[in-house]
Amino acid sequence: MINLDTVAPLGASQVSPLLVSAENLPIARNPLYYAWRRFLANRGAVFSGSVLALILLMAVFAPLITSTSYEEQKFLTENLAFPSSEHWFGVDDLGRDFYTRIIYGGRISLSIGFVAAAFSVIIGLPLGALAGYYGGVVDWVIMRIIEIFSVVPPLMAALLLAALAGGGFVSIVVIAALFGWVQVCLLVRGQVMAFRNKEFIRAAQALGASPQFIIFRHLVPNSISPVIVGFVQAIPLAMMLEAGLSFLGVGIAPPLPSWGQMINLGINFMFFYWHLALFPTLALAITVLSTTLFGDGLRDALDPTLKG
Amino acid sequence: MFGYVIRRLLSICLTFFIVSMLLFVMMHAIPGGPFDATDMPLNEAAKAKILEKYGLDQPLYVQYLKYMWGVLHFDFGIPYQSPGETVLELLGRAWIPSLVLGGAGVLIGAPLGIALGLMAALRRNSWIDYLTSAIATIGFTIPVFVTSMLLILVFAVWLNWLPASGWGEPRKWILPIAAYSAIPMATYARYTRSAMLDTLNKPFVNVLRAKGLPEHKVIFQHVLRNSAIPMVTVFLPMFIGTATGSIFVEAMFRVPGLGAYFVSSIVTRDYPLEMALILMITVMFCFAYFLADVAYALLNPRIRLGGKGPK
Repeated sequence: MINLDTVAPLGASQVSPLLVSAENLPIARNPLYYAWRRFLANRGAVFSGSVLALILLMAVFAPLITSTSYEEQKFLTENLAFPSSEHWFGVDDLGRDFYTRIIYGGRISLSIGFVAAAFSVIIGLPLGALAGYYGGVVDWVIMRIIEIFSVVPPLMAALLLAALAGGGFVSIVVIAALFGWVQVCLLVRGQVMAFRNKEFIRAAQALGASPQFIIFRHLVPNSISPVIVGFVQAIPLAMMLEAGLSFLGVGIAPPLPSWGQMINLGINFMFFYWHLALFPTLALAITVLSTTLFGDGLRDALDPTLKG
Repeated sequence: MFGYVIRRLLSICLTFFIVSMLLFVMMHAIPGGPFDATDMPLNEAAKAKILEKYGLDQPLYVQYLKYMWGVLHFDFGIPYQSPGETVLELLGRAWIPSLVLGGAGVLIGAPLGIALGLMAALRRNSWIDYLTSAIATIGFTIPVFVTSMLLILVFAVWLNWLPASGWGEPRKWILPIAAYSAIPMATYARYTRSAMLDTLNKPFVNVLRAKGLPEHKVIFQHVLRNSAIPMVTVFLPMFIGTATGSIFVEAMFRVPGLGAYFVSSIVTRDYPLEMALILMITVMFCFAYFLADVAYALLNPRIRLGGKGPK
């Protein structure tokens, strides 16, 4: 089911020379333009992208849309109060406005997601390009490393690493990047392998270009779609890892707010003060879901052949 | 094929040794030790005696070699948190809750997912197709402790139908099994739908319909059977993944399974238990992927393992 309007036109070679004139010459546009058109045609992706943008804005402008700070125990007399017009998500067990804590939790979650995804690309892109271009022994070694990552249960290893590194923002980012680069590497490797034997690479080789030049000048720019896709897909994984580790008590330490940590606390209160369990759960679910759907939409728009 | 099997087995051995070595070093690199003063206040002499008993006074490589020698004889040592039994006995005991809940989750989730995927593929772009995609996406993306939390809030806190946590009577098993079944259901709904659509578009289906075969025979005898190959091969890795327990589900529902023991083994620095758990699950995953690849080749004669066959 391909919508013909949104598919990029075939190359100029397909157009019969007789038809080429100033009027009916197809307008040559940037491939990103067509990707953008395909993305806009996908309503689910546009919607989840808007939700994600809204959450991002709320996280960035957190001090402007909240009245207190995340650690200020301003409402101790209203401990555990239920949601009201004054406290939208209620008050937590230590007298802090829960809405404020959720918004600042989003700041932590999203910044870990984006930073970890950036590091995943920094590790995964060069390794994937090397494996794809050289093949042979280089590829074998990198693929064995990836195999180790695929058979070790990631959460158990992450838990051990978190115990080793002692939790905190930096160590969670490192751990998330350590598990996030694999997907980026595989995507880039596939793209590079597909391009390795194309004519323009052969031509560059014949002209005496060095492998570094070919990789960084030709193959990496041609892998921009899988890199963007890998980057966006790494974000929710890192956010889930952070939430999971904080849930188990080895992630972000209080008083810094984290949704996973709040869910863990919420279990203790859920029978009487359900809002302490519900709001962090919903915040995490909505953020992870919208990021994933946005990533899937981006993948389908940038490179329809990657669709799984 | 034979050469491929040998090469894969060697590769599994290599993975096993690399993982075991990394783990051993990492585990011992975490500051503190199992018999530190905060947990067990002991005088110097007694502590030295205990360290000597468990071999913790020796250099790390000696400890590693001794441990691996034991592993080759299926001797995984004695868990520090429960010295009255061996690690294997403890694992055998702790695995039962994980196996019951996770196994039931897969056995319930997988058929449901197959049914959903089947209906979605046959009624494309109908409400059931959209429902299936929604379930598949949510099951894939939402972390399992979020699903568990929502299940507890709805069925235990608000509706008060089921107990929220615990292990023992079967009534307490319902919510964790539901939480466990989310991932197999999502996986199978997605795989079944795409595999069915793939097969339905093949020319042989047109031939079957053209020669007048009843539609139910086309679907169940031909299309489903031809789509079953990827569905068979994902089963084993998924079963291992679910039936070895989930740290989150077990923490959420307070189930004393493998995941719960893993957390406590890290907290109390129970080296033998930690090693045994991770190595066991790693080896099971290695073999699950290996068997899945072999099964794929056996079921689909067009696949040649090892990349030597005609393309």
